[in-house]
Amino acid sequence: MSMKEISFSLHPLRRYGRVLLVAAGILLLAEGAAWVCGARWGLLFKGIASSTDLLVQLSSPDWSAFADLVQPALNSVFIAIVGTVAGTVISLVFALLAASNLTPPWIRQPVRALLGLERALPEIVILLFLVAAFGLGPFAGVLALAIGSVGMLGKLIADAIEELDPVSIEAIQAVGATRVQVVVFGVIQPIVPSIISFALFRFEYSIRLSVVLGAVGAGGIGLELYRSFVQLDYGRATASLIVTLLLVFLSERLSGFLRKRIKEGGRFQ
Amino acid sequence: MIEVCNISKSLPGGRKVLDGISFTVKKGEFVGILGASGAGKTLTLRCLNGLLRPDAGSVIVEDQDGSRWDLCNIAKSRLRRLRRRIGIVFQGYHLVQRLTALDNVLLGRLGQMSTLRSLFYGFTDREREEALSALNKLNIGNVAGMRVSRLSGGEMQRVAIARAIFQSPGLLLADEPLSNLDPSNAKIIMKMIRPLADEMPVIGVFHQPEMTAKYCTRVIAIKQGRVIYDGDPRLTNRQLIDIYGEELEQIENAPHPPVEKPTIVAQNPNEHERDFF
Amino acid sequence: MKDRSINVLSPAGYRQRATAFSAIAILLVAASLFMGFDPAMLFTEFHYVTDLFVSMSPPNLSLLWADKTIGMAVLETVSMAFLGTLIGGVLAMLLAFLAAENTMPSRPVRIGVRIFLSVDRVIPPLFIILIFVAAVGLGPFAGMLTLVVGTVGTFGQLFAEIIENTESAPADAIYSVGATRWQVIRYVILPQVLPSFIANFFYAFDLNIRVAIGLGIFGGGGIGFQLFQAMRVLHYRDALALILLTMLLILASEKLSDLLRSRLLSRGPLK
Repeated sequence: MSMKEISFSLHPLRRYGRVLLVAAGILLLAEGAAWVCGARWGLLFKGIASSTDLLVQLSSPDWSAFADLVQPALNSVFIAIVGTVAGTVISLVFALLAASNLTPPWIRQPVRALLGLERALPEIVILLFLVAAFGLGPFAGVLALAIGSVGMLGKLIADAIEELDPVSIEAIQAVGATRVQVVVFGVIQPIVPSIISFALFRFEYSIRLSVVLGAVGAGGIGLELYRSFVQLDYGRATASLIVTLLLVFLSERLSGFLRKRIKEGGRFQ
Repeated sequence: MIEVCNISKSLPGGRKVLDGISFTVKKGEFVGILGASGAGKTLTLRCLNGLLRPDAGSVIVEDQDGSRWDLCNIAKSRLRRLRRRIGIVFQGYHLVQRLTALDNVLLGRLGQMSTLRSLFYGFTDREREEALSALNKLNIGNVAGMRVSRLSGGEMQRVAIARAIFQSPGLLLADEPLSNLDPSNAKIIMKMIRPLADEMPVIGVFHQPEMTAKYCTRVIAIKQGRVIYDGDPRLTNRQLIDIYGEELEQIENAPHPPVEKPTIVAQNPNEHERDFF
Repeated sequence: MKDRSINVLSPAGYRQRATAFSAIAILLVAASLFMGFDPAMLFTEFHYVTDLFVSMSPPNLSLLWADKTIGMAVLETVSMAFLGTLIGGVLAMLLAFLAAENTMPSRPVRIGVRIFLSVDRVIPPLFIILIFVAAVGLGPFAGMLTLVVGTVGTFGQLFAEIIENTESAPADAIYSVGATRWQVIRYVILPQVLPSFIANFFYAFDLNIRVAIGLGIFGGGGIGFQLFQAMRVLHYRDALALILLTMLLILASEKLSDLLRSRLLSRGPLK
C-alpha cells in the first residue's frame, strides 16, 4: 500500500464522513419520531417538578397493606409457574414436530412458520383475546403465558433436538425400540437439562409478564399495583411495588441459581 | 541514561521477588537481561517504566529537558510525561486487535498529543507518514492497512516494535520480544533492535543466551531477585549453568516442560563467535 | 454422557429426577387449586373461543386504510420504540462506562451507578408508565419515556459487563506510552465494544417494539391502545385486523433490524 493511498484512506474527514452522515440521518429520524410522539421536554421537567408531591406520597408505603398483598403476590407467582410449565409441555410437542432430524419437511416447515408467527404475537395481545373469550381471571393469564412461551421455547427446544448426536438415536433404534421409545429415551431424555434451563429462563420473563398481564385482567399483584395507583391510594401502590420488586428479584435469583447448577451438571444430570 | 538503584519488591505473601537490583544503562548499550523463570526479570523491567512500583530503591530517568526524576517517587502526571519517553515492547504484543497496523503504531504518540485532538483521530499527515515509514523500516509497510488480528506473530511483534520506535523514546524496553517467534524471525527482530541502541539505551528481557551473545553489548543475569552477573554478553557454559541451574533441573524432573524452555546451544564456545557482527 | 452408547441414567439419577418431577407436579396442583385455575375449563368452555373467532372474522381490513388514526398509531408505536431505544441505549452506554471498573476509577461512583442500574432493571414498566402518565399526561411521550427507563435497566448492566470483558493488555500498553484514560477508552476499549453495543441496539429495538404495544394499553398510545379500545367496545372484526397489523409490524421490524445489523456489522470498521 502506498503512502498516498494510506494517507487518503485514513484521512479524518474520510474516516468520519460516513459516520457523520449516518449520525445526521439518525438524528433526523429521531427528530421526526419526537414530533410523532409529541415529545415536549419542557413538559417532562415541569411534570417532574409538579409530581414531586406524588413521589413524596409514593415514598411512604402503607405497611398495613402487605398482609392483603400476600394472596395477589402468590397468584402472580402461580400464574407464572403454571403458565411456564404448561407452555414448556406444549412447546415440547411443537419442538418434536419442528426438528429436522425427526419430522419430514412438509410437517416441519409449517410448524416452524407457526412458531415464528407466534413469536410475533405479544403476550398482551393474546391475553386481550383470551380475556374476551374466558373472562377476567387467572385462567386467561395462565393460558396467555403458556401460549406466549411456545414460540420462544419451541424454537429453542427444536434447535436443541437438532443438535443431538444422531448416533445416540440410532443406538436406540438399533435395539428395536418403538417410535415412542426412541423419542422418549433417545430424544427427550438427553435434553431434559436443556429443557429445564430454557424453562427457568422463560420463567424469569414470565414473572415480569405476569405483573403486566395482571393489570390487563389476569389478576394478581399487577392488578393491585395498577388499581391502587389509579385510585390514588399511593401507600398501597408503593407496597405493591415493593412486593413486585421482591418477586422479580427472588425469582431471578432462584432461576439463576438453578440454571447454574444445571449447567455445572450437578443436579439434573 | 537510566539508573536503577537498589530496588526491591515483596509479594503480598512476603516473598522477596526483587532484592536490591542495581545497574546503569547508557546510550549505545543494548543490554540483555537473562534469568530463569521467576527470577524477577519481567518485574524489573516493569519497574523501569513505572508499571510496577518497587517497595524500596529508585529508578532515575531523564526527561527531555535533562531534568532527572525518580520513577518510584513521582506524581502521576509527571509519570505520564516521562512514559512518553520510554518505549516498551511487551511479550504478548499488546496490540489493539480491532485496529489496523498503522493505527496501532500511531497510538504510540498518544501521550504526546492533546487529548481532544487525539479523541477525533487528529493524527496529521506527517504523523501518518512517519508511522508508515516506521513500519517500512521493519519491512511490514505492506500490511499497514490491515487489521492486527489478521497478522502473523512475527508481523505483530514488528508492529509492536514500530509503535515503540514511532514514539521516539529516549529509552527502549523489550519484554521477551522473541518468545512467540520462530528462530529465523527472532534473528530478524534482533537485527532490527540492535541499531536502535545507537540512539537510546535499549534493555531487553531474553530467554535465549545465544541471541544475547550475538546481538547484545552487555548481559545482566538475575537470580532470585539479585544481579548475579553483569558484563560481557558471551557467557561460558559454567555461567549459564549458574544462571539456569535450577530451571534446567526442573525441566528434567517436570512431567510437562515449561514452554519458556531456554535454548542453550553454547556447547561450543566458538560457535557463537562465528558470525558475531 | 456424550459417548456412542445409549443414554442411560443411573438408578440414583432416576430417583432424583422422579423426586424433582413429583415435587413440580404437586406444586402445580396446589397452585392451580389456590388460584382457582381449572384446566378442564379449556374443554368445557372452549366454545367461547370458537364463538369469538366467528365474531372476529372476517377481519375488517378496510379499517386499516379507511381510518387515518390507525396509520398514525403505527407511526407512534414505531417512533416510541425508536426514540426509546436511541435515548435509552445511549444513556445505558454512558452509565455503563461509569459502572465499569476499567473505565471508572472511583469506586463509590461505580457502586452508585451499579445500584441504580440493578434497581432500574427490576422495576416493572407498568409502574414507570403510571408515573410518567401522571407527570406528562397520556400519550406516546409517556410511553417513550418508559421505554427509555426500561432500556437503560435492561442494557446498562450488560454493557458494563461487555466493557469489563475487554482485553486489558492493550490498555496497559497504551497507558505506558503516557496516554490518558480518555485516550485509552477511545482507542482500546471503544473499538472492542462498539460492535456488540450496536448489535444490542438492534436487539433493544425489537424488544421495545413489543413493549411499546403493551404500553399502549396503559396510556402509552399507539397501536396497542387502538387494539385495546377495539376489544373493549367489542369491535372484534376491527380488533382482528389490528392484531394482524401488529404481527406484521413486529415481523417487519425484526426483519429490517436483522438486515441493517448484518449489513452494518459485516463490513467496514465494525466487522
